[in-house]
Amino acid sequence: MARIRLDGITKRYGSVTALQRLDLDIRDREFMVFLGPSGCGKTTTLNIIAGLEEISDGDIWFDDRRVTFIPPHQREIAMVFQSYALYPQKSVYENIAFGLRLRKVDEATIDAKVRAAASQLEIEHLLDRKPQQLSGGQRQRVALGRALVRQPTVFLMDEPLSNLDAALRVSMRALIKKLHIAMGTTFVYVTHDQAEALTLADRITVMRDGVVQQLDTPDAIYNRPANRFVAGFLGSPQMNFVEGEIAEGPDGPAFARGALRIPVDPAVAAGQGGRKVVLGLRAEDAVIAEGGPLKGQVALISPLGSEQHVHVATGDSELVVRAPKDQRVALGETIALAFDPARLHLFDAANDQRLGPQT
Amino acid sequence: MSVEPVTGMASDGGRSAMMWRRGLRALIITVFSLLLVIYVAGPVAWLVSSSLQSESDITAVPPNWLPPKVTFDNFEAIFAPPKREVTYETRRQGDPATGRFLPSGAENLLPSLWNSFAVGMAVAILNLVVSMTAAYAIAVIHFKGRRAALYTILVTRVIPDIALIVPLFLVMRQLDLVNTRFALVVTYLAVTVPFTIFILISYFEQIPRDLYRAARADGCSHWQALRFVYLPLSLPALVASVMFAFLTSWNEFIFALILTQNITSQTLPIIISGFVMDFTTSFSFINAAGVIAIVPPVVLAMMFERYIVSGLTAGAVKG
Repeated sequence: MARIRLDGITKRYGSVTALQRLDLDIRDREFMVFLGPSGCGKTTTLNIIAGLEEISDGDIWFDDRRVTFIPPHQREIAMVFQSYALYPQKSVYENIAFGLRLRKVDEATIDAKVRAAASQLEIEHLLDRKPQQLSGGQRQRVALGRALVRQPTVFLMDEPLSNLDAALRVSMRALIKKLHIAMGTTFVYVTHDQAEALTLADRITVMRDGVVQQLDTPDAIYNRPANRFVAGFLGSPQMNFVEGEIAEGPDGPAFARGALRIPVDPAVAAGQGGRKVVLGLRAEDAVIAEGGPLKGQVALISPLGSEQHVHVATGDSELVVRAPKDQRVALGETIALAFDPARLHLFDAANDQRLGPQT
Repeated sequence: MSVEPVTGMASDGGRSAMMWRRGLRALIITVFSLLLVIYVAGPVAWLVSSSLQSESDITAVPPNWLPPKVTFDNFEAIFAPPKREVTYETRRQGDPATGRFLPSGAENLLPSLWNSFAVGMAVAILNLVVSMTAAYAIAVIHFKGRRAALYTILVTRVIPDIALIVPLFLVMRQLDLVNTRFALVVTYLAVTVPFTIFILISYFEQIPRDLYRAARADGCSHWQALRFVYLPLSLPALVASVMFAFLTSWNEFIFALILTQNITSQTLPIIISGFVMDFTTSFSFINAAGVIAIVPPVVLAMMFERYIVSGLTAGAVKG
């Protein structure tokens, strides 16, 4: 249990700057997810919280304790890795007990804690096995157990589910969420999987090239992305982007591209005539409907069982929209798209920042 | 019917040619394997065989590959030497041809065996302690100057030993360490430590980095991470370094020759080489000493052989 504060953290590897003056305030008992593509600095940040990487500048605080120069083994952290990182020479039991043995906890307490954790994770029958006899999902449960038996200040997870298959990933996600509720500890979770981030997080930090792009609740990040990168990184299929400009018209401001005119929220775009912008439209925010303002030809249909993704060619760009599975569309057919102007996103073409209110 | 026998014959011909080729290959492999065995084991076999023969049997032409009459006289002379001094005047009494010949200095054989063993064990243990901590630091802790440290250590091994002997002797004399086993231990460590560090670094670097991170997160200090994670997973490399250090020390000649001049510290190779004398050389006795010299390393190798296994890190990370 702790609030974690990163204060102006800079990390340089030789001449490469991995993190540039990073400020971050992780609340006590919060489930914080670091989300970003590989190389964005999210694992580096996690390692810095753990004390596994030295920092070039800045300070780290656990509550009121400055831990900048405290070595990892004195920070009372627990960590789970993508590779599981189980001690291969030790049994499952000893893997879980190891952290307690290092702290000279008495044998009876160790046994009780290990068995309690094992039953919580449903791995009691595996306690005598060696890691190489376990499947990936079982190994990750052992790794969770190793962290669970201790009372860590903070629970750090480095892409723990990335090596598991899709079905297992979903069930482990639920397990981790339950663990967070049961443990009442601060969780910091690194992932590049936006679905994981959206399901697990209390708040998400989206990072790119060592810089925080947006830090907010999953809902805010999904519905009001701060910039084009965040907008594109979250959501599946990816948000559609169309470049154009703001045109002032008799009916208020509109997004204009060639002959195309799409009315936009006056609160965002009023008085901005001529400004180069990028329009963002999520696939689920458009519907195929007679008389919609945007017309195009169906270029591709991807059925997904529960729904279908329809690729629509409009002029020189192609949009992907989500349609109910029973909606009948045909390849080459001309269809019209309708959408709620309030659900459109506008980004400045020059700096990719969101136009209008940020939060 | 008229076509089948033709194809059948062709395939039979092909098959027999293939089998003939396969047989030839097996034969060649066998012959060369045998040659290799003879090359490696032959001298050892001759050493053992001749140590059980009398001097006259050894020097017989043609040589006796197996002892015509097994005698333990040579070993008896080492372990229970007859109480008499062999000098120029009395040497005829211990006629090498009749066996039981005792070169002068023979009584030093057992003390030198102990010297060799003590120095070898000290080198093996200290070498491991120094190298594993250094290798851990260089392989695992990303401190500034680790590359420079590694290169400096390796560069010391480029200098030939012979170039170091005189300076080393002068240093040891200045420190009053000539004729001590300690001097040998220190000198041999200088030879073995750089190699061992190098071997252990490459071994440690193969251990998944996540295991290090897990250990630190679990609460291991650097020392505990080495003790509980790196060492158990590096057993084969540790055993190999113990063997390497012990054998280097056991076989070393030139440093020992210069740095030690009396039996308080002289090692087995020095004493045995001293058995080659001006007037007579008892090959059977020297060979018996040689047999004794190879026993400790062989025992050591047999003890540790089962630890030289691979695949210790299986199951650590994904896979």
